[in-house]
Order: sequence, then C-alpha cells, then structure tokens
Amino acid sequence: MSPIISERAGAGAGADCAVSTHGLTKRYDRDVALDSVDLRVPDCAVYILLGANGAGKSTALKLLMNLEPASGGTARVFGLDAAQHGPEVRAQTGYVPERHDAGYTWMTCGQLLRHASVYYPAWDHAYAARLSDALELKLERKLGRLSKGDTRRVQLTLALAHRPPLLLLDEPTDGLDPVVRKRVLALLAEHLADRPTTVLITTHHVHEVESLADHIGVLRAGRLVAQMARDELQRTVQRYRIELPDGWEAPRDLVVAASRSSRATREVQWTVVGDEREVTDRLTTAGARVRDVSSLPLEEAALALLPVETSR
Amino acid sequence: MSHATLHPTPRIADALREQVRTVALSLRGPAVVALVLLALGSALAIAEFVTGGGPVDFAPELSMLPGIVGFLFPIAVWKSERRFGISFLWLLPVDRRRHALVKVAAGWVCLMATVLFFLVWMLGLALVTGGNILGDHAVRLLPSAIVPQSGTLDPAALRTVLYAPEPVLWLVPFTAATGAYVLASAVAIGVRHPLRWAIGVPLSVMLVSVIGAAANIDALRLLASRLVEFIHEGRYGLDALLTARAESLNTAVILATGKTVSVWRGLPDIGEWAVATLLWIGAGLVVLVAASSRQRERRRPRAPVSP
Repeated sequence: MSPIISERAGAGAGADCAVSTHGLTKRYDRDVALDSVDLRVPDCAVYILLGANGAGKSTALKLLMNLEPASGGTARVFGLDAAQHGPEVRAQTGYVPERHDAGYTWMTCGQLLRHASVYYPAWDHAYAARLSDALELKLERKLGRLSKGDTRRVQLTLALAHRPPLLLLDEPTDGLDPVVRKRVLALLAEHLADRPTTVLITTHHVHEVESLADHIGVLRAGRLVAQMARDELQRTVQRYRIELPDGWEAPRDLVVAASRSSRATREVQWTVVGDEREVTDRLTTAGARVRDVSSLPLEEAALALLPVETSR
Repeated sequence: MSHATLHPTPRIADALREQVRTVALSLRGPAVVALVLLALGSALAIAEFVTGGGPVDFAPELSMLPGIVGFLFPIAVWKSERRFGISFLWLLPVDRRRHALVKVAAGWVCLMATVLFFLVWMLGLALVTGGNILGDHAVRLLPSAIVPQSGTLDPAALRTVLYAPEPVLWLVPFTAATGAYVLASAVAIGVRHPLRWAIGVPLSVMLVSVIGAAANIDALRLLASRLVEFIHEGRYGLDALLTARAESLNTAVILATGKTVSVWRGLPDIGEWAVATLLWIGAGLVVLVAASSRQRERRRPRAPVSP
C-alpha cells in the first residue's frame, strides 16, 4: 500500500505543529526501527500513533525525548530540535514510557513525586495531590513493591502533574484494570479541557481514546504509511456493500483492507481505502453494483490500515 | 508555530541539592551496616582498653579506610541507575552529561559527610581511651630506606625520634577519599562494565609479569613490577594520596633478636603528599570530565535527510 499522508491539518510543512519530524530514521545495527518518518502533530491535537508490535512507535517517542540518538533526520518539539535541546524538550513533555519502571525501587511513591517536583519548576502540587487521590496512589509504598498497574498510575501522575504542553503516552493504559482505565481517560479528558495540551498516544486500544482523537498516524515496519485527521480517515476508509456479477474480478489496484461475503446472496462487504466517489466509480465500471457505503468506527478504520495479520 | 507557553528547565543548584538528598536517602541501608560495624569495632577497642590494652590513637593519615570507601562509594551512588540505558535520571529535564556530573558531585558531598562522621567518631574514641591526638610520639627510624632481610637488623641501628604529625594531615582522609572517589566515578560513568575493568587491568599487569617471569624476559617482568611500584609506592603514588605514604613508609621488621617491631623508612612529607594529592585529584577530574562525555546529551550524527 502506498502511504496515505494527508496534506491537510498539520500534514504540511509543520508550521503549526507541536511535534514534527523530518526524515526521522533509527537503525539498530542492521534493523531499521524507523525509516524516514515525517510525523506532523498539530498544536493542541490528540494524535494516535498506531502500529503493530515492533512497528517503531516507542522508538519514535524515545527519539522525540532525545533518549536515544537518531540515525538520521530531525525531530522538533515546539520548534526545538530534540537532538540539540533535549533538556528543554523534556521540560515541555509528560512522558509515560513503554516500560513499567517508575525509577528507584527503594523510594516510596511519595518520595518519587517529591523528587520529580524539584526538576519541574511548573510542578502543580495541588494537581499532583488530586491526581494521586484520583488514581489512588499508595504514597507510602516502595516503588519496588508496586504492581504493573500501580507503577503505571505513578508514571501517569508524573507525566501530568507538571501540566506539560505536550504528553507523549506510550500505551498509557497498559496494565490497568478496566475501572482505572476509565478513570485515567476521564482524567486525561479533564486535563485537556483545563489546559491546551498536545497529546501523542501510542496504543493498541484505539476505542479507548476514540473520543479524544483528532489525528491518526499508522506506522508499519518503521514507515509512516498513513497520517491524517480523524474525519478524513473515516472518509477514506469505508465499508462498501457490493453485489457482484458471476466471474467478477476486482480492479487490480483497489486497496481492499477487509472483506466479508454472504453465500445466500451475491453480496460482499469490503473495507476499501480510497476516495468514495473514485472507488464507487471504479467498482461500477468493473461491473459491480454498490448498494451501500458506510463509515466505520475509528478503530476499525484505523486497523484497516495495519498489516492484515494485525487488523484481523 | 505553537502557541504553548514553554516551561523552564530546573536550576542546576536545585538539581544538585535534590541529588544530594537522593543519594543520601539511597545510602541509608549501607550506612546502617557501616554504623553497626563501626560500633562493634569501637566496643572491642574500648573493651581492650578497659582490660589493660593500649589506648586508641587518633592518626587520621594512617587509615586507608577513607580511600577504600572512596573507591567503593560510586557503586552505591550509581547502583539504582541504568548508566547506559534509559533510566529515570535521564528522563529528567537536565542535560545528561551535566546531570551525571551533578550526581557525582552529590555523591562526593555525601562521601565527605561520611568521612567527617568517621573522623569525629575516631576522635571521640581516642578521647575516651586517652589516646594520642596528633601529638608527638616516638617512632623507630631505619638508618636507610632499604628494609633489611628478616632477622639481620641490629636493634642498635634503629634510631628513635619524636614524630609530631603536621596538623594538615587531618585533611588526608578527605583528600584520599576525594581522589579515590573521583577516579572510581570516572570509571563508573565512563565504561559500561566497570567491574571488568577493575579486575581486568590488574589481571593484565599480573599476566605481563607472569609471562615475563615464565619466558625469562626481564624487561617485561621489570616493566610490570616497576609500574605497580610507581603507581602504588612511588613518591607521588597512590599511597602518597591515600595515607601521605604512611602505609608504605611504615613496615614491620624482624630484629636480629627475633623480635618483630614496627619501623619507619622515613617520615611522611607534607610537600610530597600535597603534590601527589594535586596530581591524582587533577588527573581524576580530567578523566572524569572525559568520561562524562560518554553520557553527553545525544547529538544528531548526520545531516537531515532531504525530502
């Protein structure tokens, strides 16, 4: 599939982007983790970065934080080159890493929060206390004795409490039970309503953040294969209910992400990537009868852009 | 361009203060163990004194302990950090290289507090047992700097002199610990596997010496032994840094009478100690700064790819 990079809403030169990368590449020996990625995250947008395991999502976030050196290209956060201004970039960023590791195992949660507060002059102590309450942090418990979910709560509190203008959340709800997941998403929504914040989230659970999402990017084997606004994605990836004549052959370059057929009728349902009018025209020209075109939920539309083995 | 109001980075003084606090907190466990050992040692010394043993003298330059602690201290300072990976320390908004040096400085502050505590404790012990506190005391001096073979030294050849340690020798434990700490910290932040280096380098020297002896290559054997001698017992060697050469100058000999006595081949020289201290700490700082470049904030290795 050729990349579907929207020219609209932040997909341009990155002038109004909080985060932009240009040809960002990361290699680990011979393995290419990121291959010339041009990410555009508009200011104050919630951008969901999707991809199968190993697609390069976490690597992209690490490069934005300047935690690892890029093999090529640039990454900019609020106009700051991440490679040259790592500390300044990290000061603007609330980061939830992929790993469930909140730092010093011998510290208590309360001590870690206090420790972090010194490093962020913008730390909001009242808000940190509110987050601790809402996420039911066990402030007296040592970090080394926390469960995976408890550690995630601490990481989320650390990321949000200094009210950063940018949140980089790598699987933020991973390890949380459904009740806490819901609470975290509510807190995130509240956070976004309170203060203009740009959010870049990687997740395998798009439905959880569906209500917040503005933009979607899809990484496949280190390459950014799609990047567009949410509504554009839902217009680009749609479900077509088609009636097919006998011996019908689909146009060769039609991008069919998923299909379902009915034996009782001659109908098939195809999830097709492309402009609706153009797809309809081509199907009709090829002899098929398009009965209905419907939008997909965001998660389904986004997953249609992932490799087949992931999207099914 | 973004409309976000950018947040400032922390002041380096705040980061240092916080790291001092963090390192001190992280050392609570080892500190308790050290305190228990110190208390046990002191109890034994007092018990011996009460039962007729000698008092405990206060001679800070004679103890290698601060130097040894200085060498080991970086292990405790860095034990919770993934020095070459992604750890909490590196997620914070401080330049990575500077942050590494801040942590080293914080560890040094804690080390100095530890040495001070140890000295005050030893001073207290000397006061309790009525020991000599940097006062004059008689020492036996060898007529020449060369230690004779066992059982051949005539007791009449020994000269007894009154030795009054210079007050500046109070500083030896602090400078010894500092020099050792700076060197060990350079290894800690500069190499991925410090233990391999710590074991590998002496082993290599030993291997060279063994090969020289086995193959009867005197040059090789001498090279190894002279290198060790130069680094350890040389005029400005490690012993000069750690004990103002009190360790290498003081030795036990067996007299012709069969009696074993402690003798001095010379007395500590303040000038030599000062030069050795400056050399070792200076070299340590240079190596530390060079080693910290391994932790530098990552730089882009090549020009951006053209669209």
